[in-house]
Amino acid sequence: MNLLFGQILNGIATGMLYALMGLGLSLITGVLNIPNFAHGALFAVGAYLLATVSGYLGNFWLGLLIAPFGIALLGLAIEYLGVRRLYAAGHDYQLLFTFGLALILSEGIILVWGPVGFSHLPPPILRGGVDLGFTFYPKYRLFVMAAAGLLVVLTYLFLEKTKYGAIMRAGIENKEMVSLLGIDIHKLFTVAFALGAYLAGIAGALTAPIRGLSPGMGVDMLGIAFVVVALGGLGNLLGAIAAGILIGVAQAVVAAYWIEASTAVIFAVMALVLLVRPQGLFGIR
Amino acid sequence: MKNPLLLVLISIVLLPLAVRPAIASEIWIFAIFGLGLNLLLGYTGLLSFGQGTFFGSAAYVAGWLLKYYGINVFLALGVGMGVGALSALAVGYLCVQRSGLYFIMLTFALNQLFYFVAYQWTSVTGGEDGMPGVPRPAMLGIDFSSPLVYYAFVSAIFLLSLLLMKRIVESPLGKILVAIRENEVRAGAVGFHVPRFKLLAFVIGGAFSGLAGVLYAMLFGIVPLESISFVTSGNVVFATLIGGSGSLYGPIIGSVVFIWLSESMSNVWARWPLLLGVAFVIVVLFFRGGVVEAWDRLFSRRKISPSRSAH
Repeated sequence: MNLLFGQILNGIATGMLYALMGLGLSLITGVLNIPNFAHGALFAVGAYLLATVSGYLGNFWLGLLIAPFGIALLGLAIEYLGVRRLYAAGHDYQLLFTFGLALILSEGIILVWGPVGFSHLPPPILRGGVDLGFTFYPKYRLFVMAAAGLLVVLTYLFLEKTKYGAIMRAGIENKEMVSLLGIDIHKLFTVAFALGAYLAGIAGALTAPIRGLSPGMGVDMLGIAFVVVALGGLGNLLGAIAAGILIGVAQAVVAAYWIEASTAVIFAVMALVLLVRPQGLFGIR
Repeated sequence: MKNPLLLVLISIVLLPLAVRPAIASEIWIFAIFGLGLNLLLGYTGLLSFGQGTFFGSAAYVAGWLLKYYGINVFLALGVGMGVGALSALAVGYLCVQRSGLYFIMLTFALNQLFYFVAYQWTSVTGGEDGMPGVPRPAMLGIDFSSPLVYYAFVSAIFLLSLLLMKRIVESPLGKILVAIRENEVRAGAVGFHVPRFKLLAFVIGGAFSGLAGVLYAMLFGIVPLESISFVTSGNVVFATLIGGSGSLYGPIIGSVVFIWLSESMSNVWARWPLLLGVAFVIVVLFFRGGVVEAWDRLFSRRKISPSRSAH
């Protein structure tokens, strides 16, 4: 029973990371209306950047601060130099472009950091565990839960309580109208891509000490981010959190009893949900 | 490009002189795969990033039956088409209810489901090592183990597939699919059950994918894990877009270019996908429309046709 509780906690922690991924992807996909196949690669580069920066500076916290900003800048550049020219093109060419970027980034990871994965320790203060009464639990995972939760709340406050957040939500609903109201839609697109990339980068940075780093981590996460968006709905914050935690917990609980099926179950849960509710958890088309 | 079919026939004869028979076979196999995808992508306007699901599932099932039950080649092809169609029915059922970007993401995510099942079900699929030992049993006195004989066999199947696909896209069904691509709402208003036709396109595309998957498994004698992964799904999309999804022959040209490039590049540099990525970015930013359109543009620059300038 304690094992199960521990796994549910694990599931919530990874589920929050999945929610961050889905949230970032849903901002990019929703506002810009493009399939972002580079989202997983941004996640992976975020993790590698954290390992390098925090290794170089000898400080995990600085790495956690800097690496996601690096990814946000990368996202900004991607939108400004590339995606911007493709809004009139079809989804097929947008996909080709973002997938090309994903290939460049993931092969770049192998060239820079090598094909063999490695682990990255959490900072000394977050090593070891704490006794939660029913189970002994790693400190770092508790930190991830809190940090990811904080980020989700901040994103929520930005989207719901600030003027620019309202414009961004309006951009997901109706781009033409936003543009007609005299708002610079291109700037909105750039900001949305950078923000989405930032969330992917910080999810990667937070993941590094839990799962370690490997060149394949990006593509695995890409599929998961797609699941979160497909279940939660584009631009739906609550949907992303619910979907992230649902698949995170399902994965962790299945892993306790049948470790081989723990990744497939993410996608199986999605298939099951869609079988009952084709429109996703909250019924958004 | 007066008579594309004749060009295809000439290419089939000439190709083995230019590349190894195995590569030549792979090109036409991939072309069958591309024909199936293009029914979705080019004709119905459905961008499926999960065709590897049907390709790989068919390769595993038919490969397994060939290996352990020694079924004959034609039965294997039939099984492959059946498995391809059935898996496409299951995946398509979930995907066609959503549209646009959701559709693309769902095809990819469901591909991941099949991939991770194959990855972990090592007792059957061999996991990362793949499933080796898929035979090409002789039949009716024909020894398929000779590379050139198998090439001829693959070419014949490819030609049949091409003619069949030509019939499909020229049939009323093909016209309905194009109508859905052009205007889904109007196609529905005219009285066509849009999701059902999308699903039908999916199933037909799946059958073509399955056919290609079995031919592929028999060609290399192994079902690699990659055959059911997103890499395969991506490659067929890329090959089709390189050739141009706007015509029946686009995916064929795309397969020639893509397979030839990838087979020659992957031997030179293990990190060649990097160059592929760079190529995608450049093509998308500067040469949209693929080879067929680039050819047309080149052609029309020399001799401006009135019908084109009227657009």
